[in-house]
Amino acid sequence: MKIVVPVKQVAVLDEEFDVLEDRPGVDPDALDWELNEWDEFSLETALQLAEAEGGSEVVVITVGAEEAEDGLRSCLAKGADRAQRIWDDSLEDVDPLAVARVLAAAVERESADLVLCGVQSSDGVHSATGIALAAHLDLPRVAVVKGLEYSGGAATVERELEGGLVENLRVQLPALFTIQTGINEPRYANLRAIKQAKEKQLDVVSLGDLGLDAQAVDSAASSRVRSMAPPDTGGGAEMLDGSAEAVAGRIAEIVKERMG
Amino acid sequence: MARDPKYDILFEPIQLGPKTLKNRFYQVPHCIGAGSEKPGFQAYHRGVKAEGGWGALCTEYCSIHPESDDTMRVSARIWDDDDVRNLAVMCDRLHSFDALAGIELWYGGPHAPCMESRHVPRGPSQIPSDFEVNTHPRYMDADDIKLVQQMYVDAAIRAREAGFDIVYVYGAHSYLPLQFLSPFYNKRTDEYGGSFENRARFWKECLEQVREAVGDDCAIASRFAVDTLYGPSSIEIGEDGVRFVEYVDDLVDLWDLTVGDIAEWGQNAGPSRFFEENHEKPFTGQIKAGDHTNKPVVGVGRITNPDTMVAIINSGQFDIIGAARPSISDPFLPKKIEEGRPDDIRECIGCNQCISRWEIGGPPMICTQNATAGEEYRRGWHPEKFHTAANADRGVLVVGAGPAGMECAMVLGKREMSAVHLVDADKEIGGCVNWISQLGHSDGKENLARGTARGLGEWKRIVNYRQIQLDKLKNVDVHLNSRLSKQDILEYGAEIVIIATGSHFATDGLNPATHDTIEGADTSLDWQLTPDEVVKGTKEIGNRVLVLENEGYYMGVSIAQKLAGEGKDVTLVTQMGDVANYMEYTLEAPMLHRDLHRLGVHIHTYTMLDKIEPGVCHAYNVWKPAHREQFEVDTVVLCTQRVSNDELYHELRSDKELLTSEGIEAVYMIGDAAAPRMIPDSIFDGHRLAREIDSENPAMPLPFIRERRLWGDVTNNDYDGVLVNTPDIAPMVVK
Repeated sequence: MKIVVPVKQVAVLDEEFDVLEDRPGVDPDALDWELNEWDEFSLETALQLAEAEGGSEVVVITVGAEEAEDGLRSCLAKGADRAQRIWDDSLEDVDPLAVARVLAAAVERESADLVLCGVQSSDGVHSATGIALAAHLDLPRVAVVKGLEYSGGAATVERELEGGLVENLRVQLPALFTIQTGINEPRYANLRAIKQAKEKQLDVVSLGDLGLDAQAVDSAASSRVRSMAPPDTGGGAEMLDGSAEAVAGRIAEIVKERMG
Repeated sequence: MARDPKYDILFEPIQLGPKTLKNRFYQVPHCIGAGSEKPGFQAYHRGVKAEGGWGALCTEYCSIHPESDDTMRVSARIWDDDDVRNLAVMCDRLHSFDALAGIELWYGGPHAPCMESRHVPRGPSQIPSDFEVNTHPRYMDADDIKLVQQMYVDAAIRAREAGFDIVYVYGAHSYLPLQFLSPFYNKRTDEYGGSFENRARFWKECLEQVREAVGDDCAIASRFAVDTLYGPSSIEIGEDGVRFVEYVDDLVDLWDLTVGDIAEWGQNAGPSRFFEENHEKPFTGQIKAGDHTNKPVVGVGRITNPDTMVAIINSGQFDIIGAARPSISDPFLPKKIEEGRPDDIRECIGCNQCISRWEIGGPPMICTQNATAGEEYRRGWHPEKFHTAANADRGVLVVGAGPAGMECAMVLGKREMSAVHLVDADKEIGGCVNWISQLGHSDGKENLARGTARGLGEWKRIVNYRQIQLDKLKNVDVHLNSRLSKQDILEYGAEIVIIATGSHFATDGLNPATHDTIEGADTSLDWQLTPDEVVKGTKEIGNRVLVLENEGYYMGVSIAQKLAGEGKDVTLVTQMGDVANYMEYTLEAPMLHRDLHRLGVHIHTYTMLDKIEPGVCHAYNVWKPAHREQFEVDTVVLCTQRVSNDELYHELRSDKELLTSEGIEAVYMIGDAAAPRMIPDSIFDGHRLAREIDSENPAMPLPFIRERRLWGDVTNNDYDGVLVNTPDIAPMVVK
């Protein structure tokens, strides 16, 4: 079985950060990079399935600049067989639908039996990439999967609904699932595996290699970030001075006013 | 990062007579075991705090004359010019960091047993010490009073010569000036006894004479217990407490306020299990709040939180934040606030291990949180600076994230090892601290004199600080829920393996009293428990419980306290002459005894078990074994001793060729896994190994500088030349 796991190197914000002035974005000095938490669980799901089915291959793919290679190496250290990083400067700040378009071209070349994404990324929090990728690939898909068993070419999955409800589905592969945190306990790589991961195959792929160009990506996008600014704070506050009695009286008046 | 403006007030200067304190951070006098005879220890320990931003730092109590000799405990001494020479080293070092140096001139009266000098201490009346054995002072006549006052003056002049900026006339903790003031000690009928003015006369005259002698050059401070907590028989805040401050206010430049006396000075250096942060406020806070002084006031109360500090100043409680223990736990506390990183503050946990070593008399001070405390000079350790290890390219696996493992991994991370993996079987780091920090509560409803049985919750700060640091270290990965086997470790890929797997309580009654197990002891039975099982709630506990405590520290009594607080009928049995002996040294004992008595715990000392059966424990008196007793109980808790979890270490070390073939260069063992000890000792062990991970043989501690007298012609270099090559701590600049 060949399983493709699209992953994302996400930005982690420092407690204090500045928004860039010349373009929408955050000052990179205030950013740290790490593998998206959800992707730890989708990778673990893939590794467990691959271990259960002999002769399997797990391929991790990301769309990202060079800093994304740390995340790919950590996936390789945990047991992924090879990795692919897709990048072009035109991909800076593109939206999830555009990312899905790029991933679709890469996944298509892999003829995967199963594509496992995270439910969402912790920095963008759109929950869109996985589902859009399924649409591009024309694959059956289930979102927010919290349980998965595989047998006889099909997967039985538990889909998490609101209010604690669970929907059980049996899906014929190939298919795409977005995996929820908590579905398993992700493994960690020991030092030997981390060292060995440095020797594993990590291909850097351009848009041209995938038969795409910037225009094709742009036409898949649904949005562009136009500007970014911290929300106004402090507005709407009225500081009350005076004795405790006076302050309490004023609070009571305000509450009465607001409650009509 | 810049400091938060809300803390600006803490960095405002304040005038102390002729001297300017550069900020509001003040290390009040506290013991460390250095005195005048370990000048390197004294200067480097205080010096590191000056480097960390404290505006002023004081000696411990400093004896003014051989007839005030506290041996076996270590005080400073300023008896002669050679003491001046040694104490000047501290002054120079503090001045090089732009901090003030204070000296606490001390005359102990009956509380100075004079075991080294063999002099006879003098006192206001012939009242023996209430805690020393058979120590009676000699009654002071009018000539004696003048003589002793001259001792203060002579000592003050020597202190000025040494370079001290602040000179104390120390009375708090019931030393001589306060003995005159307090009717508990002063039964005189002359002009130095009786009325308030008469009782205050000695102290007032001392202040006048010391001020006259050095007041133009030095700030004059007085440390005063505003309430000795004895009720009307001594100093009470509402009576002589405020009266004395008002009476001599014009003679001091700084008030250093405390509560309690020396016999139970845990009321001042309050352990966290009974006292919360800023616990002295109801007493010491009244002096400024009631407008009884025009002089700056410094006070203490294990204050570690910068927001509490700001509130204390803004509310008019104190002008200056005093600290002893918080400054030991984090010598860089002011600098961390100034640099806008208060989350890096290593908060004191209030365990009073620092005090315990001084109380024992002789050992240097230690600190649970700060393994470098007391090691600044003799080992060249700095609390915040860590040089890159010579073997930093090696990968390290630390197995076990308890006190030793956390500390070791953190220090290895700060020494920039290429990769450190800290792996633990549990779901969180902390090891034994996670359950130990849940101990010590009783029902909490009734006050104990002044405090409450708050429990050991603040001990969790051991974990919190290290968690924050480990999170920040990019080269340290923490992996939880992972129990490693020998094979896992062999295949891990680490060149250095450190085993920190802790210890467990004996399950079979193995104990230090008989060096043997106890017949019938077996905690695999559902009615016999180890202490951790009590906390974790894994077994049902009957109404009648016997706790066997053979360790002599907090475990047995804390279990008894917990179960009695839950309404159980608890019998506490120990082979020793008292329960929890060591808690005398940590100053927790008086409050603990109050709580055990309040809870109705039945205590049997000099008693040991030799057989445990369902429903009954068979006991004997250790001095007369034929004297036997039976305790009918439902449940037995065995706090007998701990046993190292050292199997992994020995399995790994058994096949050295296999280690080599797997690329493992060294396997070390630290903390309880090596030998179960107290938590500060485990943390030290982990810290020590990491500090010396690139030494020739890291398994063996490097020698440390010993400040003993060297016979013959010697130079400072003969003692501490090695420090020149110590990268972390600035070497001494000796004039």
